[in-house]
Amino acid sequence: MTPSRVLVTGVSNPLGAEVARRLTAQVPRLFGCDVADPVSAIEDMDFVHADTRLSVIGKLVRQLRIDTVVHLAVLVESRHDERAVHETDVIGTMNVLVGCSGPSSPVRHLVVKSSQAIYGAGGGDPSFFSEEMINWDRPVGDVTRDLLEMEQLVSEFALRTNQCDVTVLRLGYRVSEDTCLGRYLSLPIVPVFAGFDPRLQLLHEDDAAEAIVRATLGRHPGAFNVAGEGVVLLSQAIDIMGGRPAPVLPPYWRWLSRLGLRTLGRVDLPRHLADFLSFGSVMDCSRLEQEFRWRPAYSSRQTMDSLALGKTVEAIEPPSPPQEYELQKFLQQRRRRALRLSN
Amino acid sequence: MIEATPRERRRNSKKAEIVAPRQGFRLPRSVRRLQRQAPMYALQGLSSLSTRLRDITGREVIDMRRVMEVIQFIYQQRELARRGPNYAVDDYGFDPEWTESFLTVFKTIYRDYWRVETTGVENVPATGRALLVANHAGVLPWDGTMIKTAVFSEHPHPRHVRALVASQFMGMPVMSWFLRRTGQAVGHPDDTRRLLERDQLVLVFPEGTRGTGKSFKDRYRLRRFGRGGFVATAIRAGAPIIPISVVGSEEIYPMIGDLGPVARFFGLPYFPVTPFWPWLGPPGMIPLPSKWRIQFHEPIDLSDLAPKAAEDQHLVMSLADEVREVIQRGIYDNLKRRRGVFL
Repeated sequence: MTPSRVLVTGVSNPLGAEVARRLTAQVPRLFGCDVADPVSAIEDMDFVHADTRLSVIGKLVRQLRIDTVVHLAVLVESRHDERAVHETDVIGTMNVLVGCSGPSSPVRHLVVKSSQAIYGAGGGDPSFFSEEMINWDRPVGDVTRDLLEMEQLVSEFALRTNQCDVTVLRLGYRVSEDTCLGRYLSLPIVPVFAGFDPRLQLLHEDDAAEAIVRATLGRHPGAFNVAGEGVVLLSQAIDIMGGRPAPVLPPYWRWLSRLGLRTLGRVDLPRHLADFLSFGSVMDCSRLEQEFRWRPAYSSRQTMDSLALGKTVEAIEPPSPPQEYELQKFLQQRRRRALRLSN
Repeated sequence: MIEATPRERRRNSKKAEIVAPRQGFRLPRSVRRLQRQAPMYALQGLSSLSTRLRDITGREVIDMRRVMEVIQFIYQQRELARRGPNYAVDDYGFDPEWTESFLTVFKTIYRDYWRVETTGVENVPATGRALLVANHAGVLPWDGTMIKTAVFSEHPHPRHVRALVASQFMGMPVMSWFLRRTGQAVGHPDDTRRLLERDQLVLVFPEGTRGTGKSFKDRYRLRRFGRGGFVATAIRAGAPIIPISVVGSEEIYPMIGDLGPVARFFGLPYFPVTPFWPWLGPPGMIPLPSKWRIQFHEPIDLSDLAPKAAEDQHLVMSLADEVREVIQRGIYDNLKRRRGVFL
């Protein structure tokens, strides 16, 4: 069954916008909702100002007769406080699930974005995380904990209803200009935890959007790890970006380093990212390959290379009118492609 | 970028740039030439000195082969520094080139310091998977490095052995970096299975830290072999088990005491007290030059067992006991063959 009326929550973040752009050509009717205005205008999408933290989603879904909900309003890292992350992830998802449940609900398929951060990172962890290796005793007050609570709600929902298929995509860490990890790696001198050189597994923005689109158009119930093939060492990644690693952060008492970075530098390193940058975490994506018959096009190494390539291209102007932004984005992509061909 | 045809190569090629010589102070040309050729002159001088000393004394005073090994090591390190980020590690973070360059150092220790005598290395298969099981002794895991060196330098088909490490060491600052880089994995059943499925040689110490942390009076008495988990993993993967007896590792740090509270404070499994450590400080960490013997036993073939047999706890434990017996007997044999602790 192909989806006919799709609602995308959180369309205003860059990933949501990209997913919506790809979905417009594939589905008859597309709706988007978010608290903020979208950065780019998509012609065939109807935009609704709606906050998932309030219980409007249920009404929205029933009024618009939505059959597929793509829930992307899940924050993994934010410049807001941790309270906002908890509210958006746990309470927001709960509201979406409540809206999709009940006999009167027309929703038959739900796609939820989750993150690699759900596994956390620790010294004693196995080298690869497969989908069922979730560690339930992680510290409270962290994104990992919020994501765990969120996925617990989602799995309970999936068990309760048999009329709705639920797909959970655990997306790997992404590096771009607007993620914390991307900004961190782009520093000219990168402070790293002394004595650690973790393995990083990364996911390209295009692959993240493509995975969500494929999950929306197909029927693959269950949780899936989505990340690029292979690993890049942190020192390698910094070297690719043209920076220099400075092993100045003490390996223990990581909260102290986080505090120091926040006050001295511009980088706000969340706790799960601090753990990731000292121990590293790698996911096993074989279930994705088997079920979707697709694998991310960019390996971790290629993701890093494309970020480094993007650094040489000049930044886009701030988006004044949406169409202007579109044009700029298109031109930038063309320039990058030309650069890649000439290399 | 891969250039397949000469045409592509021509298209991608650039004209060589003519770089102007750096301005500023430069040494005279003759001095620069001398600087460039000094290593070569030194080597020539050393080799003629070696020949002359051999003629005078009638034996090898300066072994040129050893000298060349040192030079090779230095050049390898320079080459490694030059490759920048352009190298690949596998999913476990294993860097074969880097490891091989450091094996030269371990080979020197293997040959000259502990004078290891290895027997039965032909029992290790040249291709395909196998689970190596060895006794664990000595406060630091030097026996693991020596087994790795033995297989890499004595085997007709050099192979890298991937050892399994207790998870607490993978969280330690410098330790985790070094262990990951040289190809070790976490002692987790999932890691073992994955490595064996990739047809690797996996080394496991079923005694774990109970073996390394035992006191000197208990030397060469094997501890409990875990719960036989290694046998179950080998049966599931269809890999033969190769027992290894190591003699000599018990005497490198004669442990006469264990400071439990100090160990707990640092998060270590034990804090050893030897005649030299911690009294002498860092020099107390130099291991004693005992005489080592490593014996690789006949492989125990498990391919006739179905993967389901791994659930038969009785069979698993009896096989684990069999492996333990073989190793214990091998230890007694080799102790008899050894003339003295330091001879």
